[in-house]
Amino acid sequence: VVIGMTVIYFFSLSGLIFAYIYYKKNK
Amino acid sequence: MVHFSGLDYFWSIAYILLTVFSGVLFYRLGKRSGADFFLAGRGLPWWLPATSNFATHTATDTPMWFSGWVYRSGMYGIWGSLFAGWCAISAFVSTRIFRRSLASTQAEWQTLRFSGLPAELMRGWMAGWQVALNMFIAGWVGIAMGNVCAWAFNWPIWYGLVIFSTLCAIYAMTSGFWGVIIADVQQGITMLFIIILVSIWAAMAAGGPTAIVEKIQALNRPEMLNPFHFTGFVTGDYPLLWLITMIIVPFFGGFGMATHSDWFVEAQRIQSADTIKSASYSIWSGAAAVIVRNSIWVIAVLAFFVLNPYMTDESQYQLAWFRMGFEYFPPGLVGFFFAAILAIHFSTVSGILNLGAMYATRDLYNHYINPKATDKQIVRMGRLWTLLVLLGSFFFGMMIGKDVTKWLFFALWLMTAGTWLPNILQVIWWRFNGWGYLSAWVANLGICWLVVWILPAFGILPDLKDFQQFWLLMVLVALVYLPVTFLTKPDDMDRLVKVYVQTRPIGFWGPVRREAERRGLLQKKEEIDLRAEQEARKEG
Repeated sequence: VVIGMTVIYFFSLSGLIFAYIYYKKNK
Repeated sequence: MVHFSGLDYFWSIAYILLTVFSGVLFYRLGKRSGADFFLAGRGLPWWLPATSNFATHTATDTPMWFSGWVYRSGMYGIWGSLFAGWCAISAFVSTRIFRRSLASTQAEWQTLRFSGLPAELMRGWMAGWQVALNMFIAGWVGIAMGNVCAWAFNWPIWYGLVIFSTLCAIYAMTSGFWGVIIADVQQGITMLFIIILVSIWAAMAAGGPTAIVEKIQALNRPEMLNPFHFTGFVTGDYPLLWLITMIIVPFFGGFGMATHSDWFVEAQRIQSADTIKSASYSIWSGAAAVIVRNSIWVIAVLAFFVLNPYMTDESQYQLAWFRMGFEYFPPGLVGFFFAAILAIHFSTVSGILNLGAMYATRDLYNHYINPKATDKQIVRMGRLWTLLVLLGSFFFGMMIGKDVTKWLFFALWLMTAGTWLPNILQVIWWRFNGWGYLSAWVANLGICWLVVWILPAFGILPDLKDFQQFWLLMVLVALVYLPVTFLTKPDDMDRLVKVYVQTRPIGFWGPVRREAERRGLLQKKEEIDLRAEQEARKEG
């Protein structure tokens, strides 16, 4: 559970951070 | 240990060459543009994505868990087919809405349906999640092949994982979705032919259908022949609430998007179809083929049961279908059976590799990192990410190893239980906004961890059955996203009017529809569908 969750969170949060940077830059 | 004759080797090697060649053959079409590499140019007739749906949803692990259910529960296990039932509703509801949107991916749909920062955050979150999830699924299916080869040929478990997934990656990398879809057609036909043949052979080996029924009754297991054998409402091995859950989840799930993890695979095929009507037909008929396939499988598993009735180790009896083919087919046909297993395996892994690469390329790379990327750059990035998803699948596959059941537990509840209702609300309710939807996704990952692992481990919550966890997760996650939705503003009305006019969602969209009418934007549905098709052709 810990390993699986860590990998999933890593990718999901990376995508979220990309999106936040893009949104702020565009604004 | 399975012994191959010269003819068996011939069939297996010839089939591998045929599959890789038929995929690579479409190299020129695949590299033409990003829309070609990931959606086959959006111009496919309905039967191509339909066959691809069937082939992709028939994976190496599918006959394993289905055999497990039927061996344990008999005909009651056939209700597992209801999982595919959401397609029957979706084909005429959410499939049409999604196809009209022209979104390449479900992540892109987020920025069409919602507005502002939460829409972008949701797109990034979903794209990252899909990349990781497709690595996991490819690893899961890949290691199932590793387990089959370990049983059949005494190979180390990683041989089957690495060798056959790499062969898939050859044509998924060179031709993209064109290679995947063309290979899927011949794979779908091959596997359906063999599935029918195994069931006929198995029934004959067990003495015919009448003998199977008589032997099951003689074994004092008459309940195995009764699909309506319930042991109580929530108690026993065959609870009625499980069946009710299995009917409600797909039926209402068909009104939403992403209510089942299969949706992401279907969404790619929906957008690859040439018209909205084709998209509907492909989803409906692909799922119908899956349900018919399961019914044919039942015959082989029941025959296996009467021949081997006292098995208690799930890792052994879940190989029922594979054993019927390997043990009862004559030399020569065994090689053809293995070729069909390869077809089952290749179709799923190649599709999943391309899907994971699409989210990484179309959403993370092309939307966030390099919005001005040329088609050449998109195709190059698509190939690189196909390779990276393959390597990620090796990581997950080796971690799963022989613990397939333990990981199934993780796979099912990590994903979609708490977001099932929000996934419907985003389609049918205008007021459900981006912050509400994002909070549902984030809360689902945290709360499912609590409900499924943490609280039972500390004795705070009893060990619940999976369908009980589903209803509990649905309520707990709703306690997060409903307040968030009402405490934050609705999405921008311009965005809502645009998505309403373009996609014509069903349900509670009154204020948006009135605003669209006031602006004089509402046309007949036929005109919208025609325009969507023209735009799709232009892009293709």
